[in-house]
Amino acid sequence: MAEDGRACYVYGVVTDDRPDESVKDLPAVGDPEAPVTLIRQGGQAAVVSEVPVDKPLGTPEDLRTHARVLDHLAAQGSPVLPFRFGTVVRDTAAVADELLAEGHDDFARGLDRLRGRTQLTVRARYDQDAVLREVVTEQPEARRLRDELRGLPEDAGYEQRLELGQLVMDSIAAKRSVDALELDRRLAPYALGSVSEEPASPEGLINASFLVADAKREAFEEAAEELAAHWHGRVRMRLLGPLAPYDFVADATLEGKEGDE
Amino acid sequence: MTVARQQQSQYLDRASSSALVDVVDLILDKGLVIDVYVRVSLVGIEILTIDARIVVASVDTYLRFAEATNRLDLARSGTETHGLPGLMDEIREGGGKKKTKGALEGVKESVSDLLRDDDDEDREPEAEERERPRRTRGSPSHRERER
Repeated sequence: MAEDGRACYVYGVVTDDRPDESVKDLPAVGDPEAPVTLIRQGGQAAVVSEVPVDKPLGTPEDLRTHARVLDHLAAQGSPVLPFRFGTVVRDTAAVADELLAEGHDDFARGLDRLRGRTQLTVRARYDQDAVLREVVTEQPEARRLRDELRGLPEDAGYEQRLELGQLVMDSIAAKRSVDALELDRRLAPYALGSVSEEPASPEGLINASFLVADAKREAFEEAAEELAAHWHGRVRMRLLGPLAPYDFVADATLEGKEGDE
Repeated sequence: MTVARQQQSQYLDRASSSALVDVVDLILDKGLVIDVYVRVSLVGIEILTIDARIVVASVDTYLRFAEATNRLDLARSGTETHGLPGLMDEIREGGGKKKTKGALEGVKESVSDLLRDDDDEDREPEAEERERPRRTRGSPSHRERER
């Protein structure tokens, strides 16, 4: 296939019990016209589509499509192992004979461990007005600097402005630590694992991903809803999912890392 | 695509998202790496994302936060937004979003380039996979760097 300018984009690996219809009519990375198909081998199936090899990958739409295919599969209830964005294999024969054949044991381990589990991701950020108001109310120093700057013209008080801005950002950072712990305390009991990162935006609170068993999903969602209600007015909480286990797949395939089975 | 289950979610936003920043955060640098196979790696993106985080703690940001705090009217509660949303949008634009977009658009590696590289590539045995977990809370180092 490489000879005719096409190669195989690989989204991930699923179990062989998925019908071909499970990937029907999904959009494909790199070439919207290409069908997404399953290549079956040894009880597993790779989810693939053809991509032209002369076109760069990595447009926003490529990223969205990659996620859409994998999340669609995750929502169907059977396990899926998401591959990193941009995984391309020479041709379908190489997918079956090399990728699936050589990776079989790792994939089997991952599929087994992730069966009946999906990723749910919480993205929380502060309401801008609310968090600044909290800081000014709680920090006398912020209030003092603010009062001091009140009487000054726009271009004066550079040092105080810096000091105030830094104080405000440090205070938000401190809130972030406390609130991130609270989120973990409330949601982690319903999850098998979690990974979190601080968002890039200054009013971001946390992006946290949880691996949740199907049987616990409803309880997890209720706990998230409760927390969102608790934080209403100061934090906006979004819950994405069920998603493919992007944050947990690497560990799940590792030999000897048995987790909580 | 996510399945939005809207059952009595009053405060929690369950809408599925196709916002680029969400997708980037969710999938980029995540997922299985198959070391024996050709892959198109978007190395530039993570660097720029980290860069955006440094911007967050820059002097410029301090000044804008100070201004926003100064404009905050403590007497009113939650309705006045003069300056603030603009500030936040600006920071988001200037930090994460724009850079991410630029990085994505700037990726010049094509699949064919990487296919050609397949055979002579140094194999780092699963280093990328094992580096996880790499995320931490807090970013004091970024702030230090700005001082």
